[in-house]
Order: sequence, then C-alpha cells, then structure tokens
Amino acid sequence: MRFITMDITKCVVCRNCEYACSFQRTGDFRREDSNIRVEYHDDVKVCLPQTCMHCDDSWCLEICPASAITRNARTGAIEINSERCAGCKMCILACPFGNIHFDKINLVSRKCNLCEGEPNCVSFCISGALQYTESENYYQNNRQIFQRFIENLSKDDQQ
Amino acid sequence: MAGSSGEKKHYTSMCRMCDNRCGINVYVENGRIVEITGLKEHKWNHGRLCVKGRLGVDLVNAPDRILKPLKRVGGKWVEIDLDQAYDEIAEKIKKIQATWGNRAMGVWKGEALGFLTQEQLSRRFIHAIGSPNYFSNDSQCFVSRWIGYALVTGDWATQDFINSDCAVIWGSNPPYSQPNLTQSILKGRKNGGKLIVIDVRLSAIARQADEFIQILPGTDGALALGIARQLIEDNTICHTFIEKYTLGYKAYAHYAKEFTPERVEKETGIPAETVVQLARLIGSCRPRVCIYAGNGLEHHENGINNIRAIACLDGLLGNLDEVGGNFTAERPNLRNLALYKEKPLRHLGPIGADKFPVLYDFRQECHTMSLMDTILSGTPYPLKGMILGGANPALTNPNTPKVIRALKSLDLFVVREIFMTETAELADYVLPGATYLEQSELHYHPIHQIIGLSPEIVTFPDCDNEYIFWKKLASRLGVEDYFPWEDKDALNKWILKDTGITVEKLFNHPEGYEYKPRHFHKYKEKELPTPSGKFEFVSSYLKEYGYPCLPEYIPPTYMSEPDPSHPYILVTGARKVFYTHGRNRNFKRCRTAIPGPDIEIHPIDAEKLEVKTGDMVTVTSTVGSMDIPVKVVHSSNILPGVTQITHGWKESNVNLITHDDRNDPISGFPLMKSVEVKIERKADEVNK
Repeated sequence: MRFITMDITKCVVCRNCEYACSFQRTGDFRREDSNIRVEYHDDVKVCLPQTCMHCDDSWCLEICPASAITRNARTGAIEINSERCAGCKMCILACPFGNIHFDKINLVSRKCNLCEGEPNCVSFCISGALQYTESENYYQNNRQIFQRFIENLSKDDQQ
Repeated sequence: MAGSSGEKKHYTSMCRMCDNRCGINVYVENGRIVEITGLKEHKWNHGRLCVKGRLGVDLVNAPDRILKPLKRVGGKWVEIDLDQAYDEIAEKIKKIQATWGNRAMGVWKGEALGFLTQEQLSRRFIHAIGSPNYFSNDSQCFVSRWIGYALVTGDWATQDFINSDCAVIWGSNPPYSQPNLTQSILKGRKNGGKLIVIDVRLSAIARQADEFIQILPGTDGALALGIARQLIEDNTICHTFIEKYTLGYKAYAHYAKEFTPERVEKETGIPAETVVQLARLIGSCRPRVCIYAGNGLEHHENGINNIRAIACLDGLLGNLDEVGGNFTAERPNLRNLALYKEKPLRHLGPIGADKFPVLYDFRQECHTMSLMDTILSGTPYPLKGMILGGANPALTNPNTPKVIRALKSLDLFVVREIFMTETAELADYVLPGATYLEQSELHYHPIHQIIGLSPEIVTFPDCDNEYIFWKKLASRLGVEDYFPWEDKDALNKWILKDTGITVEKLFNHPEGYEYKPRHFHKYKEKELPTPSGKFEFVSSYLKEYGYPCLPEYIPPTYMSEPDPSHPYILVTGARKVFYTHGRNRNFKRCRTAIPGPDIEIHPIDAEKLEVKTGDMVTVTSTVGSMDIPVKVVHSSNILPGVTQITHGWKESNVNLITHDDRNDPISGFPLMKSVEVKIERKADEVNK
C-alpha cells in the first residue's frame, strides 16, 4: 500500500497542500475546508503537516456507530461514507491525532480519502515534505514524526 | 478552438504563471482547458506544482478576459474590428514618426503574455521601426542582480542546490517566488547540507533554516564584506582560484578589513559573534557553497554594490562553476531576434542610457523611471507613443501618480492584455492578448541545461499570439521584411536552427531535452566574459564611468541621515503564494485565501501606534500617502521599526509612496525596499 508520509524537516508552511485539498473538495481555496492541516509554531519554528494516517488499528472505524467508516480495499484509505454518517462526531473524538474534521454544511464528519490514490496535497507540495510512497511501516514513521513534533514543542515550554 | 472532439485530450507544456516554468499536463475537453497538473517526468518540478499553476485554468477561461479589441471613444470603451484596430494604430504610429521622429515611439514588454521570444520580438520590432526605446520591468527587477554578478564574473550563475554543502538564500523566499526551487534547496539540506537564510523577514524558507540571519534592509553589502574579512582572517579561502583567476584581490582584501564584526553589527543589526559564526560555517563548507541573491537586494540606493559584494564571495570560496556551488550554466545556442548588431541605435539616445549607461551596456534596457519624466517633460526629446504588452506599471512601477500622469499624456498608448488592468484602463486601444496556453514558446532551465517547447493548445479568434501581433503591425509600417516567418512554428524553427535541435525532438521530450551535458570549471579552459577575462574583485570598467572600482559599502539613507519625521522603514514586494506581482487578484478563489493587502508590523510598534490587526493606518513617505489595514506579525517575523507591504494591490497600492527618483547610481534601480515612512492610526478609526 502507498501512504502519505510527512517530513517536518522539509515543510515550509506554504499551505499549498491545504489550498489544493480545499480546492479538490469545494473548488475554493478555504483552508478550513481542507482535510490536511499544517501546524506552525512561531516560537519554535516547528512545521507539521497533519493528515489521516489510515491507521492499521483504526479507532475511528471501530467506534463509528453507523458503520459509515470503512477501508478502501484498493487504496487502503480509511473512508467515511457521508450517506451513512449520522454526524455524531464520535470518530472525531476517537482520532488520537485530530485528523477528522466536521463538515458544518452537510453536518457529517470528513477526512482524507487519499483522493482515490492520487493525493492532491502531495502533488501540490512544492517542498517535498509530503510523499506518497510505498511503505510497510508508514504508521510507525508518521507516529515518530508526530512524537518529535510534540517533543520540540514541549522543549520550548521548559525553557 | 483546437481539440473539439468531446473526449479529454492531453498535452504537455510548461507553466508560465510565474517564471519557474514547471512541466505541466494540460487537459482539454470540448475545446476548453479543464485541468492542469504537474508533469511527473519533468526534470525541474518532478510532477509537483503550486496552486498558482492550477490557476492557469482560471486564467485562460476567465469570464472577465478581454476577447475583443477595444478603442477608447469619448472616455468609453467601444469594441472594434481587429484589422481596423491594427490599421488605426499603424496610422497613428506613422503620424508620430512623421511629426516627432522614430524615437518618439517605445515598446514595453510585460511578462503576462510570454517570455523569452516575446522579449526579443519587442526588441526586434522597435529597432525595425527605427527607435531604440525598448522598456520592460527589468529596469527595476532581476537585471540589477544580473549586472551585479556580471560585473564580477561576466555572468550570473545558477545554483546547484542539490549537491551543495551550504545553501545561502539571501533576500529571497523561493516557496512563494520560485516554488519548485524549494524542492532542490531542501533536498540539498536533506543530503546533509546547511541552509542559511539572510532576510529582513522570517520568510517561509527561513522556517527550515539552520541559521536565520535577520538583517536591516539595504545593509547586505556590509555583511558580505564582513564575511569576506572573516574568511580571509581564518584563511578559509581558495588561494589557487584567487591567484590564477581573479583580479584586484589585494585591494579588495584591504578594503574588507574595515568590516570587523563590530562594524558589521553596527551597520546591519546582526550580533558580531553571529557574523563570525556565519563566516565560519560558510568557510567550512567551501567550495560546495551556493549563494542565491534575491530580489530583496535590489530596490535600494546601494543595491549594485551590495550585490557585487555578495558576488565577490564566490571568488574567495572558489565555489564558482563548482559541483554544489554557483554553477555557470551554458546557454543553448539559440538565434537572437534582437537587432542590436544589425541595426544599433544607441546614437539616438535610448531613454535612460545617458544617466545609467551600465544598464544599457549590459542589458540594452531603457530606464522606465526616466521614461515617465521624459513623457511628461519632453526632454531630452519627446516620447509620444507606447505599445505595452502584459505589464502593469500603473500598479508596479514606483511613484504611481507620476506613472498615471505620464501614461495618460501619451498621444498613443496601446496595451495588449488578458484583463482590464489598472494600466490598460489608461490606454487608447486595448488589444486582447494570448496566454501561454495559446502560443508556442521556447523555454530553457539553465540548472539542468534542458530546453523545451510549449505548444499552442487552444486559440481564441481575436487573440493574436505575440509573433502574429508584431508581424501584422510591422507589415502595416513597411518593415515586414524583419518578420518574414509565416507563423510561430516557422519562427521557432529559425530560432533553433544553429542548435541542431528540431521542434519535433522538443515535442518528443516533454521532460526537457538536454541541449548540452553539464560541465564544470569552465574558467580553467576559457577566460571569464569580463573585460580582464578574470573574476573581478575590482572593476576598471566601472571606474571609467566614475564609479568606485571596489564594491564600496554605502549605508542606506535611513541610517546615514535618519529622518525623524519618517521613523519607520518600509520594505515592499514580499511575495504571496497566489500572486505574481500585480496578477491573479481578479480570481475569486485567491481572494478567499488571501483577501487583501496589509502592512506587516512588529508587536512593539503596534503597541506604540496603538493598533491591532485589522485597524487602518495611513502610511506616508515624502512621495505620498496610502491607507492600509494592519497585520501584527509574530515578533520573530520582522524587526521592530521595519514594516512590509506586498505590491500589486489596487486597493492599497504601495507604489503610491515609493521613490522613482532615488536610484542606485549604477543600475538606476528605484528605492522601494528601504523607504522612510511615517505610520499613523487612521483618524476615523480612532473615533470609532
């Protein structure tokens, strides 16, 4: 399977990925409509793009009472069927990384679906921070990046 | 329109939404361009594209595009027939030539319609009709860096970032200005290279810098000389290169001695110990050091010598034409359309060449700032007619009120445009232009030494491409012999003739055709293209014109003669991800993301001025005033006392307050990046 990996030593927070995702979904460049979010902390200059990790052990999928969340057998993406989604937000609570968002117009949860195997955020990432690569331990990889990010942030708190 | 079969047709081309020229896929459905994506095999961008690139679809299909020739009749626009427009314009040109002489006509090349061929066609046309007056935005952008480097090395090298041990990005923000350069810079860093960013603002690229050096505007020359002094003191210099290939090292080294870390601190605001560390980091990475000088170094009263001082570092480091260094790319052997050899017209007094001869010597550019004075005063001679394509000086040239007065007072002002810009609004005729998707053009990427040809993908009835436009006008003015090629394809074949590369070959290589393998250390076999054939720390050429032969540092006026009534320093022109200079503001989607202008202010200054984000302020220079909303940025982003406004916003046009008549003495570039201003909270906002 191929997954989106994030390299926080390359992201420059240009937000092309957010705009491209928003455009793919709505035709507009509204950052809040994006499924990928880029965090930037001025004090420590840490950049972190965050998008669904399509976890092996997907808590969102497990918790969904409407069985609206499934894994796409072809792309490996964890997807929300908006026809079935009841808008209960349980998945948003369950996601340990905050990568599921709420669609305030249609009142359903929404998340990255890997653009059916051609993720726009990666195509429009001009720094090379986002890669769509074949990876066995992608989850481990992304988890470590996230960990490093948190460490950097807390380092600043201690100073 | 081409491709009207109903199925999706695929083309490969190169993006021209900025000057990066990324490889793109273009999809056409029912004769309409419906999608643009990055071209995976292209050697420059490897399939990645920025959001501006996708906006090509918005550009070509824009509902507000000009698709019919317009003529101003009694203050109103009237659509006229294309041939009638050509006939009338030609008649008016003839009248100007008969009354005022050939040199009363000028052309102005913009970048919204094309690039390399377009520039040469404009130059060819104006010389063909007997005037030396070719203008472009280059007399205030890009060219002063080219001259600064060419004075030292005879050329402006490109950077081999991927193989570099140390990349220095000096006064530039590639993620917004040259998006796909970012990939190479960060690949080099991933391979173990260091990234140093020297800038007034903490830009996007600075977020990944190993060292971010925040410098006071226009003081870069002092830092460059300080680095030089330290490299020499530490003996981290390349003696072989200096001895064998350079001129004037002794005088230069002697001059650099004055720039002790303490002096540099005083001039630039950078702590003395940081200057030493910076020089040591750069010195330790030599010769695999890339130094990229950005647009931030231009637009100062001391720009050229600051840039020369930076260029001189290559001589010390020995990184010139080195793998992972500043690589002097070889150009393809394209035929030149300009007529400077066949029909030199310097004796007719190209505008600005008397005041800024170096600008004309190096680039055959007339000076757009002097142009406005010439139009208004009629001295040294009258300039009465102008044909401008795809440029918007009413928004992007300094001192907007003067620009508008001047352009309005022309007897004939013809603008070729995609949209009704602020400049087009001043014209007598507006002719519809063709976008980069509607004409074929040759492009090359020096860093990879590759060349490509973008195809004509769609066409619109009255939107003549660049070549046809000049050909039609030339034929009405009796100079059709200069434009003998039937169409742009025939022209491209002629341009390529000496290269041995065919049009077919280029279309078969959408990834970019390597016109010559890269070859390093060329200076060992062939002299550098400078007057002495050497790398010139000193320039006797400049001395002959009465300029200092060394890259002497002169502090910006705001430091040498502070003006207490204008205590803030305004920098203009920082790029935004969606906008290329004055362009793209009419695309609604971009306005969703970045709705409008703002002035970036440090929190300390915001407190002093009692303003918060969103409040309106009036910004005043000795040229004029403008109103603009405040954006209080994080304290790390900008220095206290320094502010920034991006250009290209009609609603808060920063060029209302920039200087057209305070120029770099060598290049003539205007002062737009260290402007002394006063900032006041707007009165009516205070009363609310």
